[in-house]
Amino acid sequence: MNEKTKDMLGLAARLILGGVFIYAGFLKTVAPAEEFAYAIEAYRVVPQGFALLSALTVPWLEIYLGVFLIAGLFGRLSAGLAGALLAGFAGLLLQALLRHLPITSCGCFGASKGNSPGYELFQNLLLLGLAALAFKYGKRISLDALLESHEKHE
Amino acid sequence: MKVRKILRKLLMAAMLVFLSTLGTLLCRQFSIGPQRPSPAFRTFGPANARIRIYEFTDFACPACRTANAHMKDLLRVYKDSVRLNFKHYPLSTVHPWSFDAAASADCAGRQGKFTEYADLLFENQQNWAFAKEQPKEFLEYAKKLKLDLSAFEKCADEETTLRQIKLDIAEGDIKGVNSTPTFFVNGKRAVGAGQLLDLAKRFDNLLKELKN
Repeated sequence: MNEKTKDMLGLAARLILGGVFIYAGFLKTVAPAEEFAYAIEAYRVVPQGFALLSALTVPWLEIYLGVFLIAGLFGRLSAGLAGALLAGFAGLLLQALLRHLPITSCGCFGASKGNSPGYELFQNLLLLGLAALAFKYGKRISLDALLESHEKHE
Repeated sequence: MKVRKILRKLLMAAMLVFLSTLGTLLCRQFSIGPQRPSPAFRTFGPANARIRIYEFTDFACPACRTANAHMKDLLRVYKDSVRLNFKHYPLSTVHPWSFDAAASADCAGRQGKFTEYADLLFENQQNWAFAKEQPKEFLEYAKKLKLDLSAFEKCADEETTLRQIKLDIAEGDIKGVNSTPTFFVNGKRAVGAGQLLDLAKRFDNLLKELKN
């Protein structure tokens, strides 16, 4: 694979992952936080109070990470954090599957509708792949690259 | 040089965070984005209706009783064009039994009698709204409507029933609802029956505009 193809792959991965993160975060922030908190509680991993705190913070984190990924600012850090978040979600889904928990809505894209945990886990792993691509090759057409070239000219 | 680079990046990051926060909060305030549908038993009108109304109501509020009658008329007149999503917004600080009334109505709804039960609650509001103890009327109305009483009583205490109402309240809070009844007609806010009727006067024009 030549450099140009890698760059294009990295850019596409960054844009797709950023878009998905913004969409997921937006759907959750315009809905009541309690809705997402109930979805988190269903995983039976965190206590009730922490579920609400997570429901209040995670959607905003997703939006900011999505915006940073699309803009290409702190690109590697954003892709790394997005990957870590996705790995965390995948872990939650996996333990729910193994424990046969009755998850009716995974909460990934708002709590009102969702796919089966198995499908969501598969989707998460795909996104994790995109995060890896964005981490490794996502520098093309980014604010990071723009700032670097600007500094070289100074 | 490196410090300056990091500072520039941080400044850009702060700008992006500010703009995305502002954008999201504005979308939330102006109800841009998907709306949470009500359960099927308190959703009325065709799914493809052009006029979508979200009503936040408290069963113990007299203005809601008045609005309920007008809303029925609107649903009758515009039966093919209006879809109503009924949301609970019990003002528990002033109406101590509103939350329980909402739960009872939902439990009646699960047995297919939401409208009938809601009508009884509105009609007899003064009998239960300010009762000193748990109103016996809730069970009486269930008996009157020949509901399965054991299922009704069990349902009223169920966490899923209470959660649904709490979610409605949280949704109303996000939308800035602070009095009842509050309506959102295709995203436009109307507080009280008067403002609803003002908007309703424009329904014919609105339907024409939406058709073209």
